[in-house]
Amino acid sequence: MRKIVVFILLTVALLWVSAPFCFAEEAAAGGKGSNVYYYAIAVLGCGLAIGLAAFGTGIGQGLGLSKACEGVARNPGASGKITTTLIIGLAMIESLAIYALVVVLIVLFVNPFGKLLQ
Amino acid sequence: MEEKLLMDVIINPEVIPHNISYGILASVILIAVGLAIRSSIRLVPRGFQNFVEVLTEAILKLVNDNIGHKWGPQLFPFICTVFMFILLCNCMGLVPGFTAPTSNINTNAAMAVPVFLLTHYYGVRAHGIKYLYHFLGPIRSILALPLMIMMFVIEFIGHLARPLTLTVRLFGNMTAKHYILLVLAIISPWILPTAILALGVLVSVVQAFVFTLLATLYLAGAVEEAH
Repeated sequence: MRKIVVFILLTVALLWVSAPFCFAEEAAAGGKGSNVYYYAIAVLGCGLAIGLAAFGTGIGQGLGLSKACEGVARNPGASGKITTTLIIGLAMIESLAIYALVVVLIVLFVNPFGKLLQ
Repeated sequence: MEEKLLMDVIINPEVIPHNISYGILASVILIAVGLAIRSSIRLVPRGFQNFVEVLTEAILKLVNDNIGHKWGPQLFPFICTVFMFILLCNCMGLVPGFTAPTSNINTNAAMAVPVFLLTHYYGVRAHGIKYLYHFLGPIRSILALPLMIMMFVIEFIGHLARPLTLTVRLFGNMTAKHYILLVLAIISPWILPTAILALGVLVSVVQAFVFTLLATLYLAGAVEEAH
């Protein structure tokens, strides 16, 4: 029973995600007014990009933080040095998410393919 | 999105963009602070001289620990200037009516590209033509020629990535802070943006330090003795 429900939900989700791609083929032949699909897919891409970047950053920084806490627990006298190293490491890992954010900002605000659609 | 800032009163933003006029303002402030401290310098520092000495000694310790005694004093003025300038520029972005010059990618590139050029210049000055051995990897005999070629390509791409990442890291942090404050101020004013502003202070100071630390480590890697 559970397998059937999961299968049906997965099929619906797959259809729902692939709908813009299917309809874009038909609407592209329709001329102007089909530009809305570009913006829809661009925003979808941006959301996925930031979500994945935050996901990876969360895991990476969490691992670093856990080892730093362990280090301070073992040797409370070294907590100053460990904290400094931790903050520097977190800034490094954060910058990877910032690269993804820069790409998203470029797609949303600089709109590099905007002229092609006009 | 064009905002009205304090400098618009004096200088037309169409002629001189905001990042340049605020960058010049930051330079003028730094020079004025330096001259003011120099005119009333004391052996035992007090007050504002104490604060500036704390920053300078922190960077001096960083440079001496990483670069060493031979090239440290030569490279220290550049690194300390970069740190002070970026710190002042980042903190200027927190004040209403001012904007951070480092939130424009041109200012950051204007600082990252000289760091890149300086690493190669000082590497050649310290080692001569043997500086190329840095790019060839751990094994340097004629038998390992494929490895040396592959290491050269990898190191070349890695070196090209350095000014790019320095620029984009600082730009992304400053611009993201600005946009998050903007969006949160529209959604839920007064409380949540203040918490993000506190995070913004931390980010401004840490990013200035990270830029300086990375510049120091790149320069140390270029002029190091042992290999």
